Amino acid sequence: MSRGFEQLLDAVVRIDVREHAFEAGARRFTSGIGSGVILSKDGIVLTNAHVASPRAVEVQVTLANLERVNAKLVGWDHWTDLAVLRLDLEEVQRRGLKFRHAEFGDSSKLKVGDTVYAVGTPYGLTRTATRGIISNNNRYFEDSRGVKGYETGAFNTWLQTDAAINPGNSGGPLVTADGRVVGINSRGYAGADNLGFAIPSNIAKRVVHGLVHKGEIERSYIGIVPRDLQDFEGFYALSLNTGMLINNVDRDSPAARAGIRGGDILLAIDGVKVDGRFPEQLPGIQNMIASRPVGSELKLSVRRSGETKEYVVVTEKLESRVGEEWAFEKWGLSVRKVSRTYARENQLADATGVLVIGVQPGFPASVAGIQRGDVIRKVNQQPVDTLEVLKAAHAAYEAKPETVLVEAMRNRQISLYVFKP
Amino acid sequence: MRTFFLGGVLSGIAVLSALRADVAELWEERLRTVVAVEHYVETETERRPSVSYGTVIDENGTIILPSIAVNARSTPSQLKDFKVYRAGSAESAAGEYLGQDPLSGWHFVRAAESVRGELTPITKFVGEAREPKMGEELWGIGLRNKDEDFMPYWMSGRVSLVQSLPMRTAVALDEVTGPGLPAFDAEGKFMGLGLTGFGESFLQFSSSDRGGLPVLMMNVEESAALLTTPEVLPQLGRVPQNKFGRPLAWLGAYGLEPVDAEVARFLKLGSQSAVVFSEVVEGGPAARGGLKEGDVLLAIDGQALPRFRPDRGVVQFVGREIVRRKPGDEITLTVLRNGERQDVTIALGDQPKLLREAERKYFDRIGFTAREFVHDDAVARRVNPQDANGVVAHFVKPNGPASTAGLRTDDWIREIDGVGVQSFEDAVKRLTDIEEDNTRAECVVLVTRSGETAVLRIRL
Repeated sequence: MSRGFEQLLDAVVRIDVREHAFEAGARRFTSGIGSGVILSKDGIVLTNAHVASPRAVEVQVTLANLERVNAKLVGWDHWTDLAVLRLDLEEVQRRGLKFRHAEFGDSSKLKVGDTVYAVGTPYGLTRTATRGIISNNNRYFEDSRGVKGYETGAFNTWLQTDAAINPGNSGGPLVTADGRVVGINSRGYAGADNLGFAIPSNIAKRVVHGLVHKGEIERSYIGIVPRDLQDFEGFYALSLNTGMLINNVDRDSPAARAGIRGGDILLAIDGVKVDGRFPEQLPGIQNMIASRPVGSELKLSVRRSGETKEYVVVTEKLESRVGEEWAFEKWGLSVRKVSRTYARENQLADATGVLVIGVQPGFPASVAGIQRGDVIRKVNQQPVDTLEVLKAAHAAYEAKPETVLVEAMRNRQISLYVFKP
Repeated sequence: MRTFFLGGVLSGIAVLSALRADVAELWEERLRTVVAVEHYVETETERRPSVSYGTVIDENGTIILPSIAVNARSTPSQLKDFKVYRAGSAESAAGEYLGQDPLSGWHFVRAAESVRGELTPITKFVGEAREPKMGEELWGIGLRNKDEDFMPYWMSGRVSLVQSLPMRTAVALDEVTGPGLPAFDAEGKFMGLGLTGFGESFLQFSSSDRGGLPVLMMNVEESAALLTTPEVLPQLGRVPQNKFGRPLAWLGAYGLEPVDAEVARFLKLGSQSAVVFSEVVEGGPAARGGLKEGDVLLAIDGQALPRFRPDRGVVQFVGREIVRRKPGDEITLTVLRNGERQDVTIALGDQPKLLREAERKYFDRIGFTAREFVHDDAVARRVNPQDANGVVAHFVKPNGPASTAGLRTDDWIREIDGVGVQSFEDAVKRLTDIEEDNTRAECVVLVTRSGETAVLRIRL
């Protein structure tokens, strides 16, 4: 075994997370286990976004020498399924704890067939190493609710490996024989044998940098949904290796306002040709747009009915489909703010309102007839355009319980409800 | 002693048989008011028979059938070969489909002259047009299936409830008649028309899957509920002037939801009811009159909405209030908006083209039916009816080229071969050209489904 690999083993940690769950009409706690890898002397730990999310209230890291230390979430990015933690250095110093850190390798150098090792905590079995090869170094995998209901995979491709990856391996490193981290193990195909996915280290490097310095990864959004062109090249009479099909344009998005429509072919962005014939080429093109600063002007060359036209689009900040969650315990009601994406997916007129994600039986919301999936739009005849409106109404109810009138929508039907003390 | 006892028994039998003889006479006369009506529904790829029961309403052989007799997705031109069978007869006479009345929901069919002499209108048996009394015994006629020559059989039961739903409805303990068929009192007077959806229901448990959910089964051939005669009679004159039941008044507001008793109390509505309007169509009559989404309707032309049990009855009540009026009529709605009462006066419009009125054309080689995009399509897809174009995939042939390419029923086709669809005629012309061009290997359509577009490549 190489010295690098030995050092790596000392940098792999087990992560225990206790987090809020709002789904039950009350604030409850759930807990989970994952893996992580220490990346620096000052205690930066890299793991998966689906291991440590902003819902986490307590994060404990078990070091290789079986000492436990508290950690805090620095930031997360569900799009790449990555999260960064920082060990409580004061505690580390006070207790005189020691740890080592791992180094990144270059994931772009990986070839199919290269031997790799996964290290982590599958099913809670701390410091398990498994061995396999790189099965594919450019795997396309996108899931609109793959990380705790959030989107993932639109802007990156994945490393695929046959090294055994089980639940609990999440967030642990995929390494070469010299102990260099070339990926972060993220998911496996449930029920399949040896089909594991990891985020390439070259993407992880950028995300770690962004999360450590800004606490979040900001991306640009223009509202186009891409599709590979492989079946349509002949039909659209395109020259070789050019173009990406725009399958859909989000309502009210910058692209829609500029006049771009579903069925258009994107040929170039700011003069740079795009080639989107195959699904694994799409994340790169999406990332070309997403990695531009918010508010950038993009010049898109678009082909429609045999003619090519230029469109100027100003990017907006990319938002997640999952809004902020909260529980109103006196009403027995858990909600999630309606996001633009949710409103669009469900053809709501706008993002006003909160989605009911849970009710507690016997509490006022449930007694009034509110159900999971309803969208609460008004409280005491005041539009719920932010979560704060509902928080204020709940605070008033807590101080002095009085009947509350609520307007909610279910399958596009508006109904009135009263929450009674 | 022995003789006396026997005599007593005999006299008892005599009384019973006297009643029976009486009823048998009533039975024979009233059998002439009921018919079975068969018709065929011709769809793109098949031809299916459908049988329903109807009641004769006049001397011209006019028959009313319940609204479920005809599938709402079919257009009148797909309804073929109406045949009228008398109870217990294998012989049929031709029938003509007259259309559906929007208020009662009934379909009207007229029997050929040859059979009219053997039919008796139900109006012959109307007495004082009263509601049945609680506990009163009613009887009616059931009809068996076609393979049993629509053989009539006797049903009876006692009335256990008379309720406004919102129409006055009598519910009996047992099935008393067939859906769409009449029921009578002891003297043979017409007491009401069998409703659909009120047959006895059964739970069927699986013997192999013991933990599985039971299957709910319903007796759809018999009914325990009646639309009472005072409600039936005024609607008998509503024979449609055309197959679509026009003219049709239109409000242009949708998604009416009743408020429950708690909310009514909170809004201080007293014993009256209210409904919320969920959607007001842009540019429609209600919008022009100033109605807004979320308005709570309290009264129509000054009349407070009555309260029904269950609350939902008020929705149908409001719907009927609109349909009973004519396009151009003014209606004043009193609504609650942001806690304040206000009156909104609306000139009712003419109902835009309905789904069943939409043009359609089947393209066998591509494997789907293109249907004209109508107002209801725009409402269902939340788009402004004025700037909606394209056609709808009304039917997609299973395993056909369009189906294989991913086209689904109700997909909205916006572009064909990269060029926007201007109108139904435009789509038909271009799809016809594609079908007739034998050198064509494929066509590409842009469709919208649940607000998102997709490009489909159809290989011919």
